[in-house]
Amino acid sequence: MEGLAQRISQAMLGQEQATITILSTLLAVQDELGYLAKEAIELVAGFTDSTINDVWAVASFYPNFRFEPPCLHQVEVCWGASCHLVGAMPLMEAVMEACELESEGDREDGRLSLRFNTCLGACAHAPVIAIDHHLMGRQTPETARERIGGLLR
Amino acid sequence: MPDDITISIDGVDIQTQPGKMVLEAAIEAGIYIPYLCYHPGMKPFAACRMCVVGVEGGRGYPAACALPVAPDMKIRSEDSDVQQLRHSVMEMLIAEHPDGCLTCHRIEICGPSDVCLRHVSVRDRCVTCPKNERCELKDTVRYLGMNLESPLQYKYRQIPLEVSDPFYDRDYNLCIVCGRCVRACEELRGDDAICFTDRGGSALVGTSFGTSLLESGCEFCGACIDVCPVGALVEREHKWEKAASVERTICPHCPVGCQMNLEINSLGGFVRAIPELNSPANRGQACFKGKFGLEFINSRERLKHPMVRRDGLLEEVTWVEALDYIAERLPNYAGDSFALLTSPNSTNEEHYLAQKFARLVMSTNNVDQTSNTQPELTGALERSLGYAAATNPIWDLEQAECILVFNSNVTEEHNVVGVPIKRAARKDTKLVVIDPREVELTRYADVWLRPAPGTELLLLGGVLRSLIDQGLQHDDWLEENCESPATLYYALHNLDMDEVSRLTHVSLKAMEEAARLFGEGGAGSIVYALDNVPSSLRVDCVRALIGLSLLTGNVGKPGAGLYPMRQGANEQGAWDVGCLPDRLPGYRSVQDADARAEVEEAWAGSVPETPGIRVTEALEAVADGRVKAMMVIGDGATLTNGKISDDVQAFSNLEFLVVHDTFAGALSDIADVVLPRVTFAEKDGTFTNLERRIQRFRPAIQVTNTDARPDSWVICELASRMGGRGFNFLTAAQVMEEIANLCPSYGGVSYHRLDEGGKLVLRTNLDSPQPTQVLHAGKEYPGLQWPCSAEDAEDTRILYAAEGFPPGIAVLEAPSFRVEDVADDADFPSWLVPGRVLFQQGKEIEVVRGRRNHIQREEQVELNPVTAAALAVQNGDRVQVRTRSHRDNAALIAIVRLADGVPEGVISTTTLFGQLAEAMQTSSEPDAAAGVAGLDICRAAIVKIE
Repeated sequence: MEGLAQRISQAMLGQEQATITILSTLLAVQDELGYLAKEAIELVAGFTDSTINDVWAVASFYPNFRFEPPCLHQVEVCWGASCHLVGAMPLMEAVMEACELESEGDREDGRLSLRFNTCLGACAHAPVIAIDHHLMGRQTPETARERIGGLLR
Repeated sequence: MPDDITISIDGVDIQTQPGKMVLEAAIEAGIYIPYLCYHPGMKPFAACRMCVVGVEGGRGYPAACALPVAPDMKIRSEDSDVQQLRHSVMEMLIAEHPDGCLTCHRIEICGPSDVCLRHVSVRDRCVTCPKNERCELKDTVRYLGMNLESPLQYKYRQIPLEVSDPFYDRDYNLCIVCGRCVRACEELRGDDAICFTDRGGSALVGTSFGTSLLESGCEFCGACIDVCPVGALVEREHKWEKAASVERTICPHCPVGCQMNLEINSLGGFVRAIPELNSPANRGQACFKGKFGLEFINSRERLKHPMVRRDGLLEEVTWVEALDYIAERLPNYAGDSFALLTSPNSTNEEHYLAQKFARLVMSTNNVDQTSNTQPELTGALERSLGYAAATNPIWDLEQAECILVFNSNVTEEHNVVGVPIKRAARKDTKLVVIDPREVELTRYADVWLRPAPGTELLLLGGVLRSLIDQGLQHDDWLEENCESPATLYYALHNLDMDEVSRLTHVSLKAMEEAARLFGEGGAGSIVYALDNVPSSLRVDCVRALIGLSLLTGNVGKPGAGLYPMRQGANEQGAWDVGCLPDRLPGYRSVQDADARAEVEEAWAGSVPETPGIRVTEALEAVADGRVKAMMVIGDGATLTNGKISDDVQAFSNLEFLVVHDTFAGALSDIADVVLPRVTFAEKDGTFTNLERRIQRFRPAIQVTNTDARPDSWVICELASRMGGRGFNFLTAAQVMEEIANLCPSYGGVSYHRLDEGGKLVLRTNLDSPQPTQVLHAGKEYPGLQWPCSAEDAEDTRILYAAEGFPPGIAVLEAPSFRVEDVADDADFPSWLVPGRVLFQQGKEIEVVRGRRNHIQREEQVELNPVTAAALAVQNGDRVQVRTRSHRDNAALIAIVRLADGVPEGVISTTTLFGQLAEAMQTSSEPDAAAGVAGLDICRAAIVKIE
């Protein structure tokens, strides 16, 4: 637990930008831990001279923050306009099936978490998925199934 | 005041001032514009969009609550386009709020006991909403005259009820996310116990990680409940009851003097308390004691009939029998073998009558008030400056540039005083806390000086010395207003600062910082209590604090107050009217022959010369037989709320004991005569609060089911039976007339003047929908702040501002800076120092701003590593802490955590604020608020458990 507090402190202190806010501090902590632990909310409150509830209001506002330890792999499926037009919907269904999930979320065994992203910024390669932040373009349900199968094997 | 400007709302011209918002201007002019998120005192939020209006020449429909007035502005509020927009807004709100109660066709014909004809699902039924028929949302829908054929379908949110906290029930299925509660907590109270969570459609109100309020820093002040427009937040007690009438009174729990509106049901019972908005002392705020601790009024356990002990048993008798019996026995004890103790919630009139009775009829000065256990609190204040009272109004604290809180657990004992402190500290005001305990305010403090117990005085010396070393004293002001500070300077220069730092365990740097913050600011206020200061050091601590005020010129101006935190609700009044063993009305000394003669002339009787015994000496005097008969007027489960000792067994030595109380307790169990006493809610009189404000209150509740009477009636009846003259008063107003004649500070006080009251600040049309607090708000009764010497004289907001010091110049009493030599206690070598919030891990002790309110379920104690090493205890060890007062079984088992900030020899522990609140709720005491455990420092021993 001491180690966790130390990692959080280092992440908070390591911010280099000119303006340090609750949001920037939360991002720094999430970059370090991959999620916002309860301790993180408390330490960020102390660091930014606010209260846990203030910090919680910010943290819960943005869907980017997660409050449980991350899974082994992160799968993201883009459903932005470009991807949608070239078949994001069947892709999403295939991915959900391959992940054995019924919607966005974490697998219970912690091996993988799935998120739908409104745009991964690679429209030229639509439809796109990202596995552990590596973009993969021109996906079909079959290729996606195979890649995810590889993660779970 | 800026010049008036004229705006028109729907063609009606109204006068207002620049800087106001249109909605405020409209409310003040009595024009109703519907609103749901606005609440008086809060910043504009414009979230509900209910107050949208049209502006001639403007674009769109701005929200009136956030639209500043401008000259010749023309507002349209009732036009159909505006109303249509409001309808649409309301349709969206209703889509997330049950509306069965709004659409039911039986709405006008359904009585309170009718059974619903099941038009709607059970959870949406009107009877399942605790705010049924007192809901602001429903009133607003009806005002809008909507047909409610909305295309939007109501969707039940399926959020479980939050019932894990004391006092509150929270049902977020009913929440319309107006944000009033969040803003009340943050803006009005300076707390942050709740916040908005999530966003968009799923935005709601909650806490970090959805924890209970107990863990999120909630004080249970009830401010969020008071402002909630729907049934989302309600008081659990009497949740379903509705008010038949509303009566104003004053809370009897502490000397802040909060005006409260009591909701009373059709049977005359107390339902709930809602603080008054137009009240100068509390400004619409209350605390857990006032909001939830008044239930005792309804208690069935109340004493109902007078009782006389015959053959060892108390037998019910009539009042006549009881009074005759007392009047027959008391004359045997005339003189100093009789003592009379009054209650902290006796009125000024009752205190006055009590001391008059003791002196005139019983010929003794043995009269005191049970909460007056620390006369040192104001003694030095009177000698130095002139008056034994706080110098400035409570809310003046918001104007201070630096506030020093010394040894006072304000947020619990005088919670509403903590509100301006916290509000100020959240802005630019610097906050310095000197306390060995981790009280709630340490969380807000810029500097927290944590002296070892017993070294508080020395620490003050260190701060004063540091102030002079930094040259922050105001020499010019001192020369003009104060006698020479040479003695004080001499004492300070003799301090060995390294020694001070060593003994107090406070670094020189921290002392310097505290002195700098207090000395540099333009106006500095001091809030102090002496709860945990050893009694031998108390007078000198107060002297040192006065010295600090005088050296920095912080007397007689706004934002520069000295606030002694008295204990009892009307302790100030008891002092003022002479309910003290050594003082006559108007602070005359009993030993001063001239002063005595004045009183004797007024009373046409003689006043004894020898000062009487204090409440602090009462136990001893009873034990050694000096006092043989006693009359105790009390309103608590214990005699002095544990401040002296709750061991009242010595009282069984008394030959004759009369107890006049609301509840049976340890004293009434051994009394010879027990008389039932009315509560504060059932009497007529005045209280004087800690800012010297004399406030009138009337009976709010009729005495039913008991034969209880007020102290004043009992004393006058006894006096007339015993041949005392000058007790023929028909009303409390007549008693006040006599007080005004005898007490110079009260010279201009009369019920006529107190009732005259001030303006009605919120001139709203009472037929329109509005927040409960606004609905209940009435005329402002500001009372009078003494001194108010004549009928036509103004009262005094700030002492010593215009008229200077009564002694001419302020007297600077130099304390002798020392520590308390405590004989080592072999059995209990350490100090147990309780606190109310949990510690900050890995942070420097002096900078505590922005502390997290981290909560741990497991009990923990903090130890200095040096202490721990001496005890062979390590981080994470399990220990048992025993104290002298809980020798037998109540040992604390806890995990040790090492912390450098804790002074050596101190065992620091912290409990949640909510635990206190919970204790109040589950307590079996009839008046739990008075018996709530404080944070008393005590001797303790610590043993490691293997």
